[in-house]
Parts: sequence; C-alpha cells; structure tokens
Amino acid sequence: METADLSHHISRRFNEDLERVRTKVLAMGGFVEAQLAKAITSLIEGDSSLGESVAIDDLKVNGMEVSIDEECSRILATRAPAAGDLRVIVAIIKTITDLERIGDEGEKIGLIASRLATMERPENKYREIKHLGRLVSEMVHDSLDAFARMDAEGALKVARRDRLVDEEYEAIHRQCITFMMEDPRTIRRALDVMWVVRSLERIGDHAKNICEYVIYMVYGKDVRHTNLEDVERELQQAKP
Amino acid sequence: MDDGLRAWGFALARLATLVVVGAIVGLSFGHAVTGLALVLAGALAWNYFNLFRLDYWLRDRSTRDAPDSGGVWGDVITQVVRLHRRKRFHKQRLLDVFRELRHSTAAMPDGVVVLNVQSEIVWFNRMAGRLLNLKRRADLGIRITNLVREPDFVRYLQKGDFSDTLQLRRSTDELYLSFQVVPYGGNQRLMLVRDVTRQVALESMRKDFVANASHELRSPLTVITGYLETLDQDEDIEESLRGPLSEMRRQAERMNAIVHDLLELSRLDAKQDEVVGDPIDVGAMMSILRKDVLARPRHPSITLKVDSPGGILGEESEIQSAFSNLVDNAAKYTPPEGRVEVRWWVDDGGEGHFAVSDTGYGISAEHLPRLTERFYRVDSGRSRDTGGSGLGLAIVKHALQHHGASLQIESREGVGSSFTCHFPARRVFVGGRGGNIAVTRATDTGLN
Repeated sequence: METADLSHHISRRFNEDLERVRTKVLAMGGFVEAQLAKAITSLIEGDSSLGESVAIDDLKVNGMEVSIDEECSRILATRAPAAGDLRVIVAIIKTITDLERIGDEGEKIGLIASRLATMERPENKYREIKHLGRLVSEMVHDSLDAFARMDAEGALKVARRDRLVDEEYEAIHRQCITFMMEDPRTIRRALDVMWVVRSLERIGDHAKNICEYVIYMVYGKDVRHTNLEDVERELQQAKP
Repeated sequence: MDDGLRAWGFALARLATLVVVGAIVGLSFGHAVTGLALVLAGALAWNYFNLFRLDYWLRDRSTRDAPDSGGVWGDVITQVVRLHRRKRFHKQRLLDVFRELRHSTAAMPDGVVVLNVQSEIVWFNRMAGRLLNLKRRADLGIRITNLVREPDFVRYLQKGDFSDTLQLRRSTDELYLSFQVVPYGGNQRLMLVRDVTRQVALESMRKDFVANASHELRSPLTVITGYLETLDQDEDIEESLRGPLSEMRRQAERMNAIVHDLLELSRLDAKQDEVVGDPIDVGAMMSILRKDVLARPRHPSITLKVDSPGGILGEESEIQSAFSNLVDNAAKYTPPEGRVEVRWWVDDGGEGHFAVSDTGYGISAEHLPRLTERFYRVDSGRSRDTGGSGLGLAIVKHALQHHGASLQIESREGVGSSFTCHFPARRVFVGGRGGNIAVTRATDTGLN
C-alpha cells in the first residue's frame, strides 16, 4: 500500500509547491478556528460587536479559499501530479470547501449572536451551547491536526466523535421545544438558538468530512457514506 | 617499558634456545633442517594460536574475559584491555553528561522548540509538547504553523521581528501562552513557550482593582469637595479656620485629579489593540492647548509652530489627553521668564512628530528611563507643590502606544527638556481635514 509521502520528489520545486499550499490550507484552517471561537464567545458573553466582526471577517475566509483554489489548479495544470500527490491536491480542494462552509456557519452564529445580545439572556447563560461549541471546536481543531500530520488513525477517531455532537444536538433540540411549550414568549429566542445549534451541528459534519479526506489522502480509499466500523476494519488490514 | 623489553628479550632468548635445541636434536638424528623446521613450525603455531585467541576475544569482548597468556602475548593483551577500559570509561562519562543535559532541558519548566529555516520542528522538550499538543517523533519535520495555527502566531512567525514576545489565548484549552523566538546559529530558531495564564489572571485582577477602587473613591470625594466648597463660601466661619479649609479644598481637588487620572489610565489599559480612529487636526488642538497654558496664573511664554498642515488618525480624546499632559508639564516646570515651544511637523518619510520643548528646570539623566512609570516622581516636593498626580506621563505613554507611536525624552538639568512623540506614517495625513482618508485595520490574513 502506497502512502502519501511528501518528502521524496524528483522535483524539489514541486515538493515546495505542495508544502506551501498545504501550509496555506492550515493557515486558513487556523483562521476559521479563530472565527468559530470568536463566534461562540460572542454568543456566550453577549458581545454584539465581536459577533459582527466575525461576520465581516468571513470575507477573508472566502478570499483564502479562492487563492488556494487557484494555486491548486495551477499545480494540476503545470505539474500533472499522479498517485499520492494527486490525492493530496484533490483532498485540499475538497477540504477548503468544507473550511469555507465552516466559516459561513461561523458567520451565521456571529450574526445571530449580535442579535441575541440585545435580548434577555436565559438563566443558564447558554451553557449547553457552550458545551456543544467546545465539542465542535475540538473536532475542527483535531481534524486539522490530523490533516497536518497525515494521521489517518487520528482522523478516524475524530470522525467517530461526530456522533456525540449529533446526540448533543438532539438534546438541545428537545430542550428548546420544551421551553417554547412552557412559555411562548421565548419562542423567538429559542428559534435563534436552534439556528445556532443547527450551525454547530453542521460544522461537526464538515469536520468529519475533512477527516474523511485525510483518510483518502493517506490510504487512497474513499470512505464517504460508509460505516465507520467497516472503515476501521479495512484500515487495519490495509496498514502497511 | 623495562618489563616489556625484558619480556621481548626473554621471548627471543627462548626462541633462540628452541632453535638451537631443535638443531641439535635434529643433528643427532641426522636431519638438522627437519628439526629446525619442526621447532619453527611449533613456535609459529603457538603464536597463531595466541593471535586467534586475541582475535576471538576482541570480536566478542563484552561477554568474555580476556585470554590468559604469558610472555609478550600477555603484555599485548593487558595493554589492549587497559586501552579498552579507558575508552569505555570516557565514553560512559560523555554519555552521562549528554544524558544529563538532555534531561535537564526536557525537564525545564518552559517549553522549548527548535525550528529550522522553514519553521519545521527539529526538536522540542516535554513541556513544549504538553503546551502545544505536539506528539513525540511524529511531529518532527512538520512546520510549526501547521500545528499551532492561531492567526496571530502565524503572523508573528512570518513577520520575522522577534523583538517582542507574543501572547495569545489558545481557543481549544483557554490557556494563555507567551511565545518568544530567539534566532541562533545561522538559520536555526529557538522558540520558548510559557504558560502565563496565572500572570494574566493576576494582571487583570490588578487592573480591575485599580479601576474599581478609583471608581468607588469618586462619590465620597464629590461629597467632601461639595461640603468644603460651601464651607469656604460661608461668611460666618471663624477666620482661623480659613487657612486649613482652603488647604483641605486644594488637597481634595488634587485627590480628584489623581482619581481622574487613574480612571483614565485604567481605561487606556483595558484597550489592547491599536485604535482605528478619525482624522485629528493637530494645529487646531495646539491652539486650544495654548489657551489652556495662557489661562494659568503664572505661565511661561508659549509659541506654536505648525510646519505641515494635516494631522493624525486616531482617537481624539486620547491624543488630546496625551498632548495636554505634555504641554501642561512643560508649563508647570518652566519659570514664568522661560519659553515653551510646541511644534508639529511631518518628515520626508511621512512620519509625524509632535514636540514640546521648554527652557525649564530639566531632569537629570538617571530619572529619564523611569519617567513614564506610574507615580514615579523626580522630586516629590516639587511636583506636590504643582499638584501633579504622578500619572501624566504614564497616560501619555499608553495613549501613544494605542496609536503605534513612541515617546522620546531629552533633557538636561538646568537647560530644559524636550518631549517628542513620533507617529508612524500610517497614522499621519497631510493636507486639509478629513478628505478621502479611510483607515482600515491591517488586512493581513496570514496568507502569502
């Protein structure tokens, strides 16, 4: 089984190109992570200006996606990579799409946060959102770590955590419905909270996607839409 | 060496004896040459046997004892054993020193990461691994910015200016980390990482305390000054109390000024980033400051020089309080017959300079470095006379920091002082007020 090894290339320039674009992806990832953290903080601390700044800074994420996309096309056109290198480029093109979407969801959370900041805050100070936000942020962080390390096993572990996020999402969902039934005046706020939670859940899915691209990049195996247990078994066999 | 020579002599003598005996015995049988050959072959075989034993032992010397042999061979083996022992001793000592060194670096309370020219991780110690979530071995050769992805950190490494330390809060575990990079040995870089969460917490506690305390002092002070004012104007008050009362009033006003400055300072402290701000017309601000000086009962002559029209992009209230502190100080510490000159100019590089120079008492050199510290007084008696709070220059320093500007102080005792604020070009505009100036935050996103 051939694994993607970036260190041995006939052309050193090509190697540098690949490494540079990978670094750019991770810089974009870092920026998106910071955006997400700010969005969650703005919601929990009721900081409307921070929420707005997240929404404005999303433009930068979009700019980064376009710039990395262009660079990937250039590498495809000029170097015609094959095998492991081709997989790296393909994985990068897919990863930045997901990162950009994470940025978009962060923007949504930021906007809702700046609106919620003007409303009455619930007694628990959005504790459950804080918890879910932490789960999701850690997933994004660890999926990017797996990407940086080309660590398929780590990626698989992160992908499995998506189930926790789904469970938490389900729980908050139910809690919001209860609130709305108890007191119709909270419906507006509860709906906004639902949007935030929905966005967080989507971010978890995007992080899982990134993990799947990492597995694809390392083992050349497309594991989308498959059962994670099957994937694990196959990886055990495929281990070099 | 005598022993060695004697052994050689003995060996040669033995060989000679054997040859002679062999020749005689051979002669007695009528074959002198055969006897000689047999004896020599025996001697050769014995030497080969010893050589074989030595070789056999050298190949696997760790588990076996050295062969036991007499004569020259014994000497040679003893010397080999001695050499070997000495080498092993030195090697062990070197290893011990090396291990000690590695252990002590690994056990250092600060994180240490060695980076090469591409910012790839060459080595890191245990603490760095823990603080930055790096994995042993697996992460060597990976660029540090790929794993520590905080945008501020990426920008700091890219900028390549390591005169300042970087402090940031990790979003994942909410630790405050402080980074310092030290270039060494050509292209290598040593990065020190420290967990400063505790210091940050203490610092913010201190700031909160100062802000709260000064805020709480405000209302009782207002009450006191209010009553003192009424009493001061009371006609029926006894004449002997007039002096103490007006002194109380003066001191209460001074306390008010200190509280005001403390609040101002903690407000400046709370803001970390550089301000964005609006265009400020420095010329107009200077004429207002001049009026303030002329309103003093005793004041030196003051001249204004505006060499370039235009001004600064910034927070008007902060710049105003910085400049007025400087002009106030100059007016305070210059006798009425002295001169104060306030000047604004933009140099060829586009940098703006605001200078206040006076012909006052001056400050001696040993005080200059500490002048902007809070409550630092050059001469406590004098500044108490003039009613200073001891916070003026600290406010100036903080306000300038928010605008990326710096303060330069030159002074000679008895000759005068000059305080100059240097504003970077991005903070300066030339020409009429307003216009098409738009200030945006740095759009550096960490790409390229």
